[in-house]
Amino acid sequence: MIKDISKQIQERFNQKGYTIPDSEIETRLDKLINEFKVPAEEAHRSVVNFFLKEYNIPREDFFPAQGDTPTVQISDIDTDNKWVNIRAKVVQLWDSEHESIDQVGLVGDETGTIKFTKWTRADLPKLVEGKSYLFKNVVTDSYEERFSIKMNRTSQIEDINDDIIEVELVPTVEISDIDTDNKWVNVRAKVAQLWDSEHESIGQVGLIGDQTGTIKFTKWAKSELPALVEGKSYLLKNVVTDSYDGRFSIKMNKTSQIEEVNEDIEIGTTEVEFIGAMVDIQAGSGLIKRCPECNRALIKGVCGEHGKVEGVYDLRIKAVIDDGRSVQDSLLNREISERVTGITLDEAIHMATEALDQSVVIEKIKGEFVGKYYSVSGPKLDRYILVDTITPLGPIENSEIEAIIAQVEV
Amino acid sequence: MASQYTREVSYRIFAQEFRDSNLSFKDGSDQYSPQYLLTPTGAKINRMFIVGTLTEKEDIGTDAEYWRARVVDPTGVFLIYAGQFQPEAARVVAEVESPQYLAIVGKPSTYQTEDGTILTSVRPENIHVVDPATRDRWVVETAQCTMERINNIDSNHPDAVRAKEHYQPDVSIYRKMAFDALKDLNSG
Repeated sequence: MIKDISKQIQERFNQKGYTIPDSEIETRLDKLINEFKVPAEEAHRSVVNFFLKEYNIPREDFFPAQGDTPTVQISDIDTDNKWVNIRAKVVQLWDSEHESIDQVGLVGDETGTIKFTKWTRADLPKLVEGKSYLFKNVVTDSYEERFSIKMNRTSQIEDINDDIIEVELVPTVEISDIDTDNKWVNVRAKVAQLWDSEHESIGQVGLIGDQTGTIKFTKWAKSELPALVEGKSYLLKNVVTDSYDGRFSIKMNKTSQIEEVNEDIEIGTTEVEFIGAMVDIQAGSGLIKRCPECNRALIKGVCGEHGKVEGVYDLRIKAVIDDGRSVQDSLLNREISERVTGITLDEAIHMATEALDQSVVIEKIKGEFVGKYYSVSGPKLDRYILVDTITPLGPIENSEIEAIIAQVEV
Repeated sequence: MASQYTREVSYRIFAQEFRDSNLSFKDGSDQYSPQYLLTPTGAKINRMFIVGTLTEKEDIGTDAEYWRARVVDPTGVFLIYAGQFQPEAARVVAEVESPQYLAIVGKPSTYQTEDGTILTSVRPENIHVVDPATRDRWVVETAQCTMERINNIDSNHPDAVRAKEHYQPDVSIYRKMAFDALKDLNSG
């Protein structure tokens, strides 16, 4: 590592016509990094400054004059610690979270957008959202494989009067195209399901879908975005892709935006059938209450988004079906639940009122269904089958048993 | 982050194979790591689904109720223990009269006797009364699952490899067991 940094430093000085012996650079770096445990970046900086002083080199001479700095497009930025010029428009200004940061946000050009950070100490002019600038001598940076640019004391900012920059904002993609993480995208999709949030940091979680498929989404509580409603279609702007265990998802954070769209986006799905024993009916089944505003299931009368609300009754069954080889989560909505149990929502409410206990409904359903064999079919969304037909399996045919015996005998 | 938790499959095992099982271990080292039982045909089970006939039940608890139930399939007996920590299951056992067909979802459990013998039993998560058709279907399904495992016993699947190493099973015994269970069903 020391050799690499030393080489970089020496080359920089060489370019400027100053020769500094390797050994001297290495000795200083070694001392800083190995003896004093200084981070490499800081050591690099410190050594450069040391030799500038030592050889009496004017700083302006060394730090890139603008002639040297390449003017690049945003999509070309693929390494950190590089000095560049870019022509870009300020797309968004975010709230600075630290006094050392004067302004922070997103700039964009024809090729894409990138985060920028303007340090307070840089003492640069205020940037205005929607205006275009020539940013000179800014330095690239990366954090968790995402690039950004920093504007510091050596940077300069010039107004571009004519607003020539057509920003290629975040690309709008289809769900099936999402195959990398940490990418900013826009998605047009319908909310297929809202799940119960399992953590206070998560505002909403569930499944969205478009013609090409479905994907999990997480909306952070801190994002302060409006509540998504099941069954409605939205344009979700500036969301970030993520992956876990090989499955992709999108996250909505503070910089994301949500716009409701009028069209009803159709969700492309695959119809599947699963046969097995119902081994469990999960909590949150039977008679439940939903939030009147966002439709999510209440937990002890409380909505994760809207707090204590007067809930609206609903009937649903979250069944776990298992064939001894794999497990299939299955979701039965009110219509299917009513049909298969023979208990209407009104009757369920009546049962609960009589017993002074909402759980009598789930207990009754469990008693009737768990431990028996069913065939369920319906579209598969993420790990759930949204059941539109459920059939109890009757007695097994003798011919079927004979066929299996024939197989075993072989 | 809330992890995408995967539910354990409920394996189908006949009583005979369950009784022959004695290799129990944890996957991972912390106290919350799941406990598994590896069976002679290479099923690594943390949960199982049984349908059989309740033949006997007894409250063996001293203070609180603690039920021991014998549930029989075509190949042998499962011992089911349900106490205060399995209130729903214990209530069902307390209420039903034997004989009765029961469907049980539960966790395998092992106990080592003084002479070193390992006894297996089941800690139920839920118990439900079912009909004979469900029981027949379970026998067929369990025979099929058992045959699938036997057919894979020479594969390089880690569970099969480990089962062969530990039990050196004569799989023809289990093949015959599955076959007899099916035959029994067909004649009955």
